[in-house]
Amino acid sequence: MANARALDKRRKSIRNIRKITRTMELIATARFKQAMDRASAASAYTDRITRLVAKLANTGLELSHPLLESHETNENVLQLVLTSNRGLCGGYNGNVLRKGLENNQNLKESFAHLRLEVSGKRGISFFEHRDIHVDERFLHFEDKPSFEDVEVLANRYLEAYATGTIDRLEVCYTKFRSIARQNATVETLLPLGELAHEEAPKVVDSDSVAEGESIIEFLPSAESILEEVVPTSFKVKLFKCFLDAAVSEQVARMVAMKSATENADELIRELSMTYNRARQGQITGELLEVMGGVEALKT
Amino acid sequence: MAANHMEEGLDVTSGSRLVECIVVTPEETALKTPAQFIALPLFDGEIGIAPGRAPLIGRLGHGEMRIVEGKKTLRYYVDGGFVEVSDDLVTVLTNHAIKAEDLDLEALETGLEAARAKPANTEELMEIRDRAVAQSRGQLWVARRNR
Repeated sequence: MANARALDKRRKSIRNIRKITRTMELIATARFKQAMDRASAASAYTDRITRLVAKLANTGLELSHPLLESHETNENVLQLVLTSNRGLCGGYNGNVLRKGLENNQNLKESFAHLRLEVSGKRGISFFEHRDIHVDERFLHFEDKPSFEDVEVLANRYLEAYATGTIDRLEVCYTKFRSIARQNATVETLLPLGELAHEEAPKVVDSDSVAEGESIIEFLPSAESILEEVVPTSFKVKLFKCFLDAAVSEQVARMVAMKSATENADELIRELSMTYNRARQGQITGELLEVMGGVEALKT
Repeated sequence: MAANHMEEGLDVTSGSRLVECIVVTPEETALKTPAQFIALPLFDGEIGIAPGRAPLIGRLGHGEMRIVEGKKTLRYYVDGGFVEVSDDLVTVLTNHAIKAEDLDLEALETGLEAARAKPANTEELMEIRDRAVAQSRGQLWVARRNR
């Protein structure tokens, strides 16, 4: 039987770890709520944009824009991988990086030039460890990515796409579906082919109300609005990726820390039991010794 | 409804009737307020929206948005985006809505210089530069007016 003192020491250290994991869990929960609020605020914006696009499509305007069409040449591709700056969040980084690496290899085969941009320390060290060159690294996207920061990126990508420096933009991030489900996904954000797909069913929906809506006035013109809608929806999409990644990170950390705390509880319980047994054993041993001594003195 | 007001000889901006104004940015719903009158910078000039405005979707430029509410006038810089008006509900979708007081004049002046200095040797680059310049000018204008 292990000695009681060593067991007690171990139990103490587990208690300390438990305190840390428990606190981290609480912090992650609070941050998750904040991030979630931000994400739902962003979706209010996206919903309105989608509705606007639906109304535009309703006017019979042909939705065409340079950003919606793919380039004729397919040589330069840009891959953006979103990971976290901190660890202790379970499989979050592992999942997204596995997907990212797979995507990276596929892209390398089909494109002549690949530019890799990574957000988050975890991702950067992952790629560097594998001797994959990271062209651009971002560390400033924490749990609250601001639209301003994302917009800088988005504008750079839009410029690069417009001038033909890149022919494709792929974003690898963790998509938040529900609290119980987050998937690492790869999305092609440029060319932005999906704008037309998304509102296709909406057009059918709004047919019934078309009479009331057909009198909308477009200033300066529907074409001009389309010209602005497309880059805006790209920016919002990219922003959504960042928000999703932030929310997923917090969820992953919350879950990981919750199970760590539970595990610590379990360990403490088991150790307490062995400790008590060991202590009792020690006491029994001592008693026996004393009684033995008394017996020896009697004779 | 609007016609009724005209018949009664009421000024729609006098406060008897209000529009609901919602300003949404990707980060938050920046503002939700009733208003008597809203002035917005459209892509090609300013537009004023009073209660009873016919439905409209407009492309915003970079400039000043004024929301008149009672005796108060709220002044914001809006950074492009869209405005949608229907049934006395004005929805402003913009990348940023910054209160006029919060703009920093000095930082903006250097920003305009930087925007002007951007290369413009191809058509696409020229478009990008013009946009940046318009943005800086709009901000500056709002900031100066606030002085």
